[in-house]
Amino acid sequence: MAQNKTQLTRAVVLLALASVFFITLDMSNSSATSRVRRVFDTVFYPVENIARVVTRPVSGAWKAFRNYDDVVAENDRLKEQVALQEGTAVAAAASVRLSQELLALNGLPTLAGINSVTAQVIGETPTNFSQTIEINQGADSGIKVGMPVLNAAGLIGKVTEVFNNRALVMLISDPDYALSVKVVTKSNRTPVTLPPLITEDAPTVDSVLETADTSTTSSTTTTTTTILGFTPSATTVPADVVASAGSNISVPSVSQLAVRETGILEGRGPGTRPVVRFLDATTRAGAIEVGAPIVSAGGSRSLAPPDVVIGVVSRVVERLGTAGPLLEIELVADLSNLSFLRVLLYQPITESGR
Amino acid sequence: MFERLLMIVASRWFRLVLVVLLVLSLQTTLFSEIRPWGYSVQLMAIFVAAAGAVHDVRTAAIVGMVTGLMYDAVLATPLGVSGLVLGVIGAATALALQPFRDPTWWLRMLIIGLAAALSELLMPFTKALVGLGGWLDVRVLAAMAVTFIGALVFAAPFVPISRWTLREKVLLGR
Repeated sequence: MAQNKTQLTRAVVLLALASVFFITLDMSNSSATSRVRRVFDTVFYPVENIARVVTRPVSGAWKAFRNYDDVVAENDRLKEQVALQEGTAVAAAASVRLSQELLALNGLPTLAGINSVTAQVIGETPTNFSQTIEINQGADSGIKVGMPVLNAAGLIGKVTEVFNNRALVMLISDPDYALSVKVVTKSNRTPVTLPPLITEDAPTVDSVLETADTSTTSSTTTTTTTILGFTPSATTVPADVVASAGSNISVPSVSQLAVRETGILEGRGPGTRPVVRFLDATTRAGAIEVGAPIVSAGGSRSLAPPDVVIGVVSRVVERLGTAGPLLEIELVADLSNLSFLRVLLYQPITESGR
Repeated sequence: MFERLLMIVASRWFRLVLVVLLVLSLQTTLFSEIRPWGYSVQLMAIFVAAAGAVHDVRTAAIVGMVTGLMYDAVLATPLGVSGLVLGVIGAATALALQPFRDPTWWLRMLIIGLAAALSELLMPFTKALVGLGGWLDVRVLAAMAVTFIGALVFAAPFVPISRWTLREKVLLGR
């Protein structure tokens, strides 16, 4: 009996020590644990593939049983939504192109300049305590740990584990996910309206874009656009450049331009909206409104390049003291229904070497 | 050399790795998609608890450790977290059944169910201990309930499977 107890104690102590050893090794980013995972993946991958093929009819039957009504309802809703969006999509594409050209003109980074790899979701997390998905592209396609992952709507997460031909992606809703973001808000100040200026040649946004390659100035004076459905709200050209002869124009002052509050976005688990905290409590908290867009902040130490769309503010929770407001975010990407994704081949400095 | 290799292949630990590979493949494919009420049934925990129900504490702890390490290898969690949790679950199941000389089938199933459900509580707790917090909330109760019900269903096939897997001696055609 006493011998049994000693053996039991020894087994439990050894178990605990071994686990602590492995955890310590893994959390210090040891290459040994990465190697172990890779070797295991090599053995496990064929077995998992066979299991996936064999069990596909069962999982298909389960999905058909559970989701049929939802799929029919969603299909009807999507048809209506597609009809609505067909017109605005053209205008949106034109706006994006215009924005990218402007950023490129000013030497600012854009997503268009970052290569990407398209991947398909092949598995969900098998546990109840992590928000990860498995994609069918890995190190062979140039994917590395830390790279941001997007779908057609916006950012969905980051790569956390890479194997030769698959990778694990931590979703933005995982409590371990954190990203610096910007909240784009509107300024409450009214624009300054200037009287007509008597000048001859004044460049405008369109003319600047048209003549960018040749580095010459144009004498075009139009401030309208021919893009279908695109109506510029105000001429957003610096005051010292714009001078459209014979018309009143609105010149935005610096304070009138979109205000960008920065904070940290944190996941809170499935079914719960992520939040943005650490916003500056002293500045313009009241200016953050429901519906304000949230985009990635970018920067040398950020996990994602700047201006990747993440979501919109769904609730503003004012907090006392210096804590600053807490924002609940409605993600633009539907994390429960992911299929094709885009992995940006952009590895943050903080994740390099992994 | 060949005989030694044959002995390794015929050992119960090698058989355990092969069986766990199969259970793991079911966990990561079928049971990651079949999610009753949004929660996945933890086959790995049920298998370990079933092994604990028919073996001694030490064997069950080792089965839990091996199974957990293999589970960690395919998850993004730090290597050893599931190993620790499932090792404890295996040992706890065996300990819980130790006072009973010949436990009835329903008692075995009940203990397996409770132990598997306990793993769903220990997992977020252990993750929080290593700095991966944020999972300890009311969802844990729902995950425990789903795994408990799943264990009642899968305990019946897993008990004979784990008994066969961890059988001490295998006849090699002699």
